[in-house]
Amino acid sequence: MILPYIKELAAGIEASLRSDPNQDSARKRFTLEIARLGIRLFSGEERVAWCGVFAPFDLLTAVGVTSCFAEFVGGWLATIGAVQPMLEKAEQAGYSTDSCSYHRGVIGAALEGMMPEPDFLIATSTPCSGGMATTENLSRHFSKDLFTIHIPRDDGPEGVKYLADQYRAMVDFVTAQIGQPMDAARLRQAMEKTNRARALLDEAYALAQAVPTPARRRDMSNLGIVLPLLFGSEAGIEVARAYRDEFARKVKAKIAGVPGERIRLMWLQNRIQFSNPLEQWLEEEHKAVLVFDELNQICWDPIDLEDPYIGLARRALSIPLGGPIERRIRNLQQHARAYRVDGAINPCHWGCRQGTGGRGLVERGLKEVGVPVLNLEVDCVDPRHFSEGQLRTRLEAFIEMIEGRGAGGARLEVAS
Amino acid sequence: MNTQTPQRMGFACAYTPLPIIDAAGFVPFRVLPMGDAPDQAGSFLHDNICPHVKRVLDRALGGDVPELAGVVLMNSCDAMRRVSDAWATARPADRVITLDLPIACDDTSVAHFKAELARLMERLSEWSGRPVTVEEVVQSVDRYNALAAGLERLADYAAVGALSGGHRVLQEIFNRSVTRSVDESLTELDRLAAGQGDSQQTDPGVPVLLFGNVLPDPEALELLEACGCRVVADDVCTGSRQLVCYQLDGQEDPLAQLAHAILSRPACARTLVSPQAGLLAGQVAARARECGAKGAIAHVMKFCDPYLARLPAIRDALREAGLPLLVLEGDCTLRSLGQHRTRIEAFVEMLGGSPP
Repeated sequence: MILPYIKELAAGIEASLRSDPNQDSARKRFTLEIARLGIRLFSGEERVAWCGVFAPFDLLTAVGVTSCFAEFVGGWLATIGAVQPMLEKAEQAGYSTDSCSYHRGVIGAALEGMMPEPDFLIATSTPCSGGMATTENLSRHFSKDLFTIHIPRDDGPEGVKYLADQYRAMVDFVTAQIGQPMDAARLRQAMEKTNRARALLDEAYALAQAVPTPARRRDMSNLGIVLPLLFGSEAGIEVARAYRDEFARKVKAKIAGVPGERIRLMWLQNRIQFSNPLEQWLEEEHKAVLVFDELNQICWDPIDLEDPYIGLARRALSIPLGGPIERRIRNLQQHARAYRVDGAINPCHWGCRQGTGGRGLVERGLKEVGVPVLNLEVDCVDPRHFSEGQLRTRLEAFIEMIEGRGAGGARLEVAS
Repeated sequence: MNTQTPQRMGFACAYTPLPIIDAAGFVPFRVLPMGDAPDQAGSFLHDNICPHVKRVLDRALGGDVPELAGVVLMNSCDAMRRVSDAWATARPADRVITLDLPIACDDTSVAHFKAELARLMERLSEWSGRPVTVEEVVQSVDRYNALAAGLERLADYAAVGALSGGHRVLQEIFNRSVTRSVDESLTELDRLAAGQGDSQQTDPGVPVLLFGNVLPDPEALELLEACGCRVVADDVCTGSRQLVCYQLDGQEDPLAQLAHAILSRPACARTLVSPQAGLLAGQVAARARECGAKGAIAHVMKFCDPYLARLPAIRDALREAGLPLLVLEGDCTLRSLGQHRTRIEAFVEMLGGSPP
């Protein structure tokens, strides 16, 4: 079921790009490259690894392994409206409805025989314990070896060394699994490509801060969490360049992603993955635009080509979700200022102890810089309990409160 | 003679290196998820966080902990990370150190955890005003090993119904063993051991293995016995998994040996061993077979991802061993367990026993 769907998706986008170049967009390029990745994952023709969210995918690319984080499948099934039977399958097998639905979705898909068998698996301790357990369960399901990466809390020299050593051990594990050594030249090329994609993406994010933002509603959805799957490859560079170029053109021409932008909002963690009208409603009714998604940021320096393992370790440790919450809060405060947001929405994904666990602390931290936070109760993957009316009411009250504070007025002239 | 009362050092996770805290002259004080502190943690953390962590934070917020010289927290799982995040905001005057706890026990992880233990020694030296030496840590390990061995003997008595007061008393002793000095606990164990000969063996009930994360309320254990269960072994981090022996060989690098011993202790659900999956399921099934249980009861904190995610595998492993499993989700209150009373009694009947 999945492979034909992805092939059809990729073919459709390719045909659209061929027939009408005016329809080209960075988002389309991104979707196409992810579809192509999906084809490689599901075709059964390549070496595949299912991983944790913060695994070094470019390192795996360098050694010739196609890899992806397991949660991607849960989110993607929700996007295409196919997640409900998978959730039910997992629940019937004993997986608690209190657990994360990204994880239940992928477990259900595995139990239904819809997940391609990997060559091995790599679990990461962050972003969450649930993800770690899910990777272990997939390892058990497929009877395939598991490698675990503990991403420490401390981003100092000891933490960096520890993580870099684990990456070296991971490469030993992977090369033993596939019977092929790591080629130093290929590793260097992959890191060069990662750095080029990084630089372009950094520019794109800086451009997205413009008032009005050049980003359309869905342009930035899942970008920062999914694009790393393409790091180390030409595809990653092409997608990042497409975003940079599109945003540069729009900013220069003062073209707003959402015409009439009045209210600028920050979205914490992941968007709601299944089809829902809330974002469109925010835009159309209130000209309220999601200008910044928390996971859309570059917080790491370029990888040192002479010592890539250290650079990769620093990259993983720089991700604010993994460290103490003060670091995450400082990071959110900085981005709130940089993007000039009027408010933040925290979807509080049910089942997430990582992103939403410290929501009270995040709320306090953002209030310190004058940014009000709306905590929603929502499951970003499971549509069964989606209460559109209740959510709309809360969002409406939040927007009214922001408008009451006088937000958006200064931008009206620029945006309209 | 030094008559000054030692200061208490708070902790919340069974992986905490208590011998180092003891060697620094502090009394390790486990902030157990008990008591009547009002529910305030929700203002810091989401309500869908593990009740263990919320109760610990409730106690901290409600002033339901004695004066603490500091707090040692472990980066063991999402919930423990969150309590580490929240504690500093909830009690900004407290001194807090959070130790990184690797998920595996390979050489790289042992080396990293050894460095973390050294960091703890350094920090506790600052807090206590005197240097903590490795020799002192080794001595404390010996004393804690004696305590762990004594508690294991008591648990054996309880398992055959020969501990006066049963598992309720055993749990009270378990709780005291992590809230007062190791010397006081050793003295109590000596006294109890001397009196064991007088204990009367009672109706033992149906033998079960109890496993899960935290169940510190002695009344909860009493309830299980009242329903006809005889807990012949447990794998609970407030029970027999709380204090375990750390074998050091007296040779070189004791700190590395301690790091290895802690990382290889009976696994909590958050621990993994590469490259095999399913460590916990195998561990629970093996324990159930070894102890002669007729069935197993899992008491799992609501929202505890590591356990919730492993229950299907554990159920499979127990099924293969021919052992039924009863899963009870709890929230650290006796109220939640009391609601399960009928299910526990039915489980006992299914295993061939009868509630008293």
